[in-house]
Amino acid sequence: MSQSEKSGQITFAMQTFERIHPVEFQRRFLTQNTRLSGREFSQFRALHIVKGSIGTAQGSATVRMGNTIMVCGIKAEVCEPDVKRPKHGYLTTNVELSPMCSARFRPGPPSEEAQVASEHIHRLITPSVDLTSLCIEENKVVWALSADIVCIKYDGNVLDAAIVALVAALENLKLPEVKVDPATGVVEAGAEGGVQLGIVRRLFPATFALVDDNYLVADADDAEEQMTSASLLVVLDDQGQMVNVWKRGAGIISRDTIAKCVAAAATRKSEIEHALST
Amino acid sequence: MARPDRRDTDQLRALTSVLGQLSRADGSAHFASGDTSVVCGVYGPVEAKLFDERLDRAHVEVKLRPDVGTPGTKDKWLEAAVRQTFERHILGHLHPRTLVQVSVQVRQDAGSLDACAINAAMLALVDAGVPLATMVAAATCAVLEDGRVVADPVAEEVEGARSVHTFAFAEGRPAEPVYVDSRGTFDMPEYDACYGVCAAAVGRVLAFMRSAIESKVTRESQVAGA
Repeated sequence: MSQSEKSGQITFAMQTFERIHPVEFQRRFLTQNTRLSGREFSQFRALHIVKGSIGTAQGSATVRMGNTIMVCGIKAEVCEPDVKRPKHGYLTTNVELSPMCSARFRPGPPSEEAQVASEHIHRLITPSVDLTSLCIEENKVVWALSADIVCIKYDGNVLDAAIVALVAALENLKLPEVKVDPATGVVEAGAEGGVQLGIVRRLFPATFALVDDNYLVADADDAEEQMTSASLLVVLDDQGQMVNVWKRGAGIISRDTIAKCVAAAATRKSEIEHALST
Repeated sequence: MARPDRRDTDQLRALTSVLGQLSRADGSAHFASGDTSVVCGVYGPVEAKLFDERLDRAHVEVKLRPDVGTPGTKDKWLEAAVRQTFERHILGHLHPRTLVQVSVQVRQDAGSLDACAINAAMLALVDAGVPLATMVAAATCAVLEDGRVVADPVAEEVEGARSVHTFAFAEGRPAEPVYVDSRGTFDMPEYDACYGVCAAAVGRVLAFMRSAIESKVTRESQVAGA
């Protein structure tokens, strides 16, 4: 008879406990002011960025944040500009959360989470780039960039990782020199790597999640996200000005806490800045 | 400098609402803030699809249709925002294994649509008699190019604004925003100013909602009594 049976208590291996009582398992850590990953509540995961990871794309980057991995690839095509904005190019963003990255996602059309992330990133990035720098010839040809942000491995907080991946890929973007033959209207691409995109501001995201209605943690992983009742995204620009504050979910994150999170986002900003420059 | 519609900076556009306009829905509301207007119908609690069924609570589904064209990612984004604002305020555990369906139809978007959609959905949920923990309302404000903070901006003002802020609050809890979406370029003092403007505006919207519900209930009891 084992020790545990004698005392009348049932004991599990840690992994078994985690599987059958995931919430209770996380709570054991949170009540002790610690997290399963060993991070502090206010601690983000380390960022690793590799720029130019896809050779065939005009711009690309891979971002690893703990076990979350996002790849962003930007393809450039030439097309006609919108009649209303003859000098502006296009930038479309698409976040892909496929069943490959997590069992939470089903095959088929993009999930709501993916669509909301795509749309939100698009809203943030559009005013952050100078779309007129994508103009080849006014009223005739402009660049259309399509940024595909693919999740390779899902372990929470994909929005932060996706924004950083997109910013890194945009920094990495090099467009070929293009000539338009005025007689025939044929567009001819010259040598690779001539023109760079005008970036107005870079974006530095920081997400905080309210776990189990009680604990505000930075950069929640997948298991913590399952217990999240509210999340707060703070995005800063190069000057440390706020670009976006986005609180979702009904959990209570008070006005003062939001102010504290904005301050914490500034610290995270320098971490991301450092990762982007290496 | 006067605003396009000559309102004061903290003045909201005229609020109008009609409750129970749709006869086939369990509850409905038409909510308009000036020229921005939204119709919302609530169906529920009804039988849930097997996939959506939750054992311990009702499943809340929001469908949003734009005024023009078919729903795109923009509408999906707003749909998620509306749902996340309410989801936990609906006492879903009272109706386990059911579905509460909220259909939001945009009639006209003349600025501050997000707040209008949230307000319309709230009124429709009340009209449908879906049990709620509290009332929630939203308001938008914008920081213009010259630094003025204006409440309930029209599309024209949003276009040239430095930042746009939408906040939702539950009744009587101005220190705990339910939903925040601040976008543009802004600093903490500007954010704080917008917070204050929206919190005050939400108070007025909630008072309006209350009187709208009260007048409907009074009318109904008179009809029943006669």
